[in-house]
Amino acid sequence: MIEAKDIKKIYPGIVPTVALDGVSFLIKEGEFVAIVGPSGSGKSTLMHIMGFLDRPTSGVYKFRGKSIDELDDDQLARIRNKEMGFVFQSFNLLPRTTVLDNVKLPLLYSGIAREQQDRMAREALKKVGLSHRLFHYPNQLSGGEQQRVAIARAIVNHPSVIFADEPTGNLDSKSGQQIMDILQNLNDQGHTIILVTHEKYTAQMAKRIIQLKDGRIVDDQIVAHRRLAKDGLIK
Amino acid sequence: MSILYSFKVAWVALKTNKVRSFLTILGIVIGIAAVVAMMSLGAGAQHLIVGQIMSMGSNNIFIEPGAFDPKKTSIMEARMEEAEIKTLKISDAQAIKNLPEIEEVAPFVIGVEKVIYKDVSKKVTFIGTTPAAHIIEATEVTLGRDFTEAEVKSQARVAVLGYKIAQDLFGNENPIGKIIRIKKTNFRVIGVLEERGTQTFMDLDEFVYVPVTTAQKLLLGIDHLKWIVAKAKSKDVIDEAVEDIRLLLRERHNIYNPTGDLTKDDFKVMSQVEAANILSSVMGVFTLFLSSIAAIALVVGGIGIMNIMLVSVTERTKEIGLRKAVGARKKDILYQFLIEAIVLTSVGGVVGIVLGILGSFFGSLVFGKMLYMQWKFFISLKAIVLGVGVAVVVGLVFGIYPARKASQLSPIEALRYE
Repeated sequence: MIEAKDIKKIYPGIVPTVALDGVSFLIKEGEFVAIVGPSGSGKSTLMHIMGFLDRPTSGVYKFRGKSIDELDDDQLARIRNKEMGFVFQSFNLLPRTTVLDNVKLPLLYSGIAREQQDRMAREALKKVGLSHRLFHYPNQLSGGEQQRVAIARAIVNHPSVIFADEPTGNLDSKSGQQIMDILQNLNDQGHTIILVTHEKYTAQMAKRIIQLKDGRIVDDQIVAHRRLAKDGLIK
Repeated sequence: MSILYSFKVAWVALKTNKVRSFLTILGIVIGIAAVVAMMSLGAGAQHLIVGQIMSMGSNNIFIEPGAFDPKKTSIMEARMEEAEIKTLKISDAQAIKNLPEIEEVAPFVIGVEKVIYKDVSKKVTFIGTTPAAHIIEATEVTLGRDFTEAEVKSQARVAVLGYKIAQDLFGNENPIGKIIRIKKTNFRVIGVLEERGTQTFMDLDEFVYVPVTTAQKLLLGIDHLKWIVAKAKSKDVIDEAVEDIRLLLRERHNIYNPTGDLTKDDFKVMSQVEAANILSSVMGVFTLFLSSIAAIALVVGGIGIMNIMLVSVTERTKEIGLRKAVGARKKDILYQFLIEAIVLTSVGGVVGIVLGILGSFFGSLVFGKMLYMQWKFFISLKAIVLGVGVAVVVGLVFGIYPARKASQLSPIEALRYE
């Protein structure tokens, strides 16, 4: 599903910064991959390229067999809209906009009929357990609830892949567990999940860990003893 | 993405920054209000002046000395400057009266002199004419009588006073039979005219009327006329009458002009309708001129819009990044910000139109009071359509740059923006 071959990303400048220095891997449908590494290792850059938010300087990146080089900006936007969902560390919800309208945002750009938009948004919010908060504003919610709204927004259009960039980074451990539980459930339902994190503990909730250092993959293996977030919740 | 959604987003964004939005649209409000007020007042003035000219009798024909000059078409202009050409005579007026289309003819001379009664003195405009003048102008002598043809022939020293000048000189006294002095000559007051008000910015009640012959000999020392007014028998014969007067005067003034080239004549003939049309078009140009000055405010307002939209794009960089991440195309972002700019200017436009109408309403009240005229309050529909149109166009023109800037942000840079 995702195919990366010798991807490099160099940010130009007086002293060019090499963020990715030849990264190759394959990710199949239904995987739950954690990308870990210290800050500055290039993990966020890698996620942005995988999510069609940025283009590599060189190398081949293919999503579902389509190379990023063959697609123009509008086509990328369309794939992001239909096939990908994003969850960010800082939630990135629109202020002064209700929870329901925030979740609807991707649908507005997808040409889905208005009545259906409402139904889909409510359904997504139900999955993250926020059906009772439809008409609240983001500033009336806790951090954990805000991130759950962001997840609802990411899954509202039934994407095949969800990219989560440090989703628990701004949350207390209990809310973080809740978020991870939701992501694990979504993975069980068939969504491919790409998780960027610097917490080892969180990474072990994935099925596979790719470790980056200085723009290179230093380790890529299956998680032997996978943690389940809901166990953590019971503790 | 639906247009309706864009409007909703724009409205929320504007509501969030109420004070800023208000200050931003102020320029547009002032610009549109000024344009609407100018055009409405202009339309009122046009209506007023043309109406007044037509009320003087639409069958009238003016004859003035001096060749037709395409650059100077206004009667007022010609009246104000000293007529250098002395070929128009009383005998011309008499000859015109004999034309079959003409019902009545009045010759005119005009001058400014000091009028003295006892110890009161006042500078007035005196008009030398014949009794026909008040028939043509449909004015009545309410006190005493008008002077007669015989008095015109004998150069009698008699005067008919305008309503206001009679009041100024005599107060409550009865002016009839009293002696006034104009330029060292004694005149006997024989009549006072009805109150007439202002017309084309002249106060008709401040005129003093004397026989034309008396005015020529004793007051002005000339033997030519300043203008002649002829009244046609009916509307239908006006064009013929104008042409016949031209032929007659060419013959009398020995002008060889078989092609009818108006610049070769030493006189101008113009019907009331033509005069009204010319004055109306002059007023139109004047209104346009004032409106275009007001329109400068719109440009300034538009720059304000552009400025604030640029600020808005910068402030909402993260939002733009997010929208792009979830699938907004360039064009979606472009429309969103463009519509926001248009909503801003349109709200400004609507408020401006309301203010402009209010302004022209009070303006017409004030001008009416100041000039003692029935100034008709006009809502210029043209101005409203133009105002809204201009507001939208200003939004488009000054919104496109910030909107393009927003649409071209790279999603990841926008998301990273703090």
